[in-house]
Amino acid sequence: MTALSRITLTAVGVATLLSASVAATAKTSIDFYFPVPVQGALAREMTRIVKEFNDASPDIEVVPAYTGSYDETRLKTQAAVEAGKPPAVTLMSANFVQEFVISGEIEAIDDLLTENGGDPKTFLDDFWPALRGNATASGKIYAIPFQNSTPLVYINVDHFKEAGLDPAKPPATWTELADAAKKLTKRDGDKITRYGFEMPGSYDYLGWLTQAFTMSNGGQFFNVSAPGEVYYDQPSTRGAVQFLHDLVFTHKVMPEGVIDPNQTSSDFFAGKASMVLLSTGSLSFIRNGAKSPYTVAFVPRNVRNAVPIGGASLIVFKGITPEQRKAAWKFVTYMTSAETLGSWSRFTGYFAPRKSSYDLPEMKAFVAEHPDALIAVKQLEFAQPWLSTYNVVAVRKAIEDQVQAVISGKKQADEAVRDAQKNADEILRPYNEKIAHVSGL
Amino acid sequence: MSVRASPTAIVAGAGAIGAIALLWSAPFLWMVVASLRPDSAGSLDIASLMPSWPPSWANFRLAWESADFLLNYWNTLMVVAGTLTVQLVTMSLAGYAFARLRFRGRDLIFYLFLLQLMIVPPVLIVPNLKTVTRLGIYDTLWGVMAPYWASAFGTFLMRQTFLGIPRDFEDAAEIDGCTLLQTLRYVLLPLAKPALIAFGIVSVVAHWNEFLWPLMVIDSPSHRTLTLGLASFVSSGEGDAEWGLIAAGTLIVSLPLFAGFIAFQRQFINSFVMSGIK
Repeated sequence: MTALSRITLTAVGVATLLSASVAATAKTSIDFYFPVPVQGALAREMTRIVKEFNDASPDIEVVPAYTGSYDETRLKTQAAVEAGKPPAVTLMSANFVQEFVISGEIEAIDDLLTENGGDPKTFLDDFWPALRGNATASGKIYAIPFQNSTPLVYINVDHFKEAGLDPAKPPATWTELADAAKKLTKRDGDKITRYGFEMPGSYDYLGWLTQAFTMSNGGQFFNVSAPGEVYYDQPSTRGAVQFLHDLVFTHKVMPEGVIDPNQTSSDFFAGKASMVLLSTGSLSFIRNGAKSPYTVAFVPRNVRNAVPIGGASLIVFKGITPEQRKAAWKFVTYMTSAETLGSWSRFTGYFAPRKSSYDLPEMKAFVAEHPDALIAVKQLEFAQPWLSTYNVVAVRKAIEDQVQAVISGKKQADEAVRDAQKNADEILRPYNEKIAHVSGL
Repeated sequence: MSVRASPTAIVAGAGAIGAIALLWSAPFLWMVVASLRPDSAGSLDIASLMPSWPPSWANFRLAWESADFLLNYWNTLMVVAGTLTVQLVTMSLAGYAFARLRFRGRDLIFYLFLLQLMIVPPVLIVPNLKTVTRLGIYDTLWGVMAPYWASAFGTFLMRQTFLGIPRDFEDAAEIDGCTLLQTLRYVLLPLAKPALIAFGIVSVVAHWNEFLWPLMVIDSPSHRTLTLGLASFVSSGEGDAEWGLIAAGTLIVSLPLFAGFIAFQRQFINSFVMSGIK
């Protein structure tokens, strides 16, 4: 009893203290959720950027809350919204935006622009065309791209030369990729001591890379304008999954089983993998960590050059006070200026979503020094939106589970894509039922 | 007992135990070695157990600077202590009620209580968060602790423990004029000490290491627990592992737990041995 009343007293005391301090400063405080998809240095840099904004804006206090991985950030944001405590701004994985549009939980950027003297029609003109699909829905802007990536092949130059390959002519097609990987793979009897090719097979990454192979195979992976339709059981996806299977079991140039991204980059550094497929977001990390020369290349094509974009965008939530809404817009505007985006890009290796960032003198100097930073930007010409559907994490896992089974030798490509489609359709059913039966209108 | 082991058997036994201990401690040893390895991000020998020489404290320095560890320690300590204290009270009272008191529907309520054990915690995130928000303890350490204050496992454990204690103890206490709560406090709980300690260890370790729920409840950096502080600089999804930094950060986080267990190991074992009842 006494313990309980003591707890209550303390709680009341703390609450009083808190409200007193809020009243004294009269600042508008807003929550900003952000994931740390790459190494920890980025969290430190993000905290620094936010502090710079806070120092420059005496009437606003942005509270940066680190919220885990992309998936955890989505979970926390969703839970906070449902609990009635939405953050003002979240840096959300670009392909999760659609779900928040469907649930009606985020503000249309169009409205914020109009209120603040901007023009929704021309706003996205400065952003790379490939990024627009994941930022808009039904003709309205809902998210502003902040950090973006595409998959990129990282190549160990020394291994290439040693195997008689020309690092200036990286494999451009699937056949060339398999051939190069075969030459690069080192065997010691039955044991493979160096893999020609390696890529992460863990959740989130695998779905993205499978989409890249499907698109390079001429496919689309999902219907960009219909959040209830995915194309898993299609020849393009089947071929992509078959190719991954063959790299592991026919050519034996890629490790069997699921490898996580950390191990992939560690293996590349350690010279245990000659080519790795990773995000452009890893570029700075590889640049700083690589002990031997490396080069980067486009994702090879079978039918055409095509990759999905990746990365995250800023979204603004409904359910906050008008003052917070204003503060949120001011913060988002600062975060997505050509200068901030450019400096974030130089720090991380992500490419800057604004074209004008590349016209800034700091950026020109940086690109001149690190020409590989431009490869990701060049690949943008072939980039398209990232898988984005109703209940997208479950839909993505539907294919990831199957591809994991394939690269672990438990399933064949045919069965895998069929099962992936069946499971995804089941997950998408609630949305599709709603639009398929409209007789109640 | 009277058979004396031959010296060779002793040596062989010690060797086998040593080998097993080495196998089990390898991950920990690797963590120590990696944390002291300079410039570890891209080093070729990161998987090696051989320490590099000279060792470098750079990883520890960077890790220590990357999060407010003193504050995070304090927050985690508060959460662990606050959770366990309330748990011990509620589970003792509830366990006693289910073991000794007679009331209508007792067993049914007990089984309903046990059903809680079958629910996967992540399912409860949103409902719990709603409750926490309504109670006004969102983004506070209270919010992190509250859902754990009534532990189904603890209640089950205490009920079973109390059932195993002969009623004679309580009868004697009653004859001496103890009230129900006095009997519980002075007779039953001392006898149940091993169960309380066992539960304490499980609870402390679980809440020390917990990540997902604090992540959901806490927004402000000043309320972050150790796991959140650690994750804010070592977590990575797109392929970049600063192994040395991760190892150093993990050591900083887990060191107090290690120290605690090493310091109190003897007491833990004694409490199991000395209790009158098995």
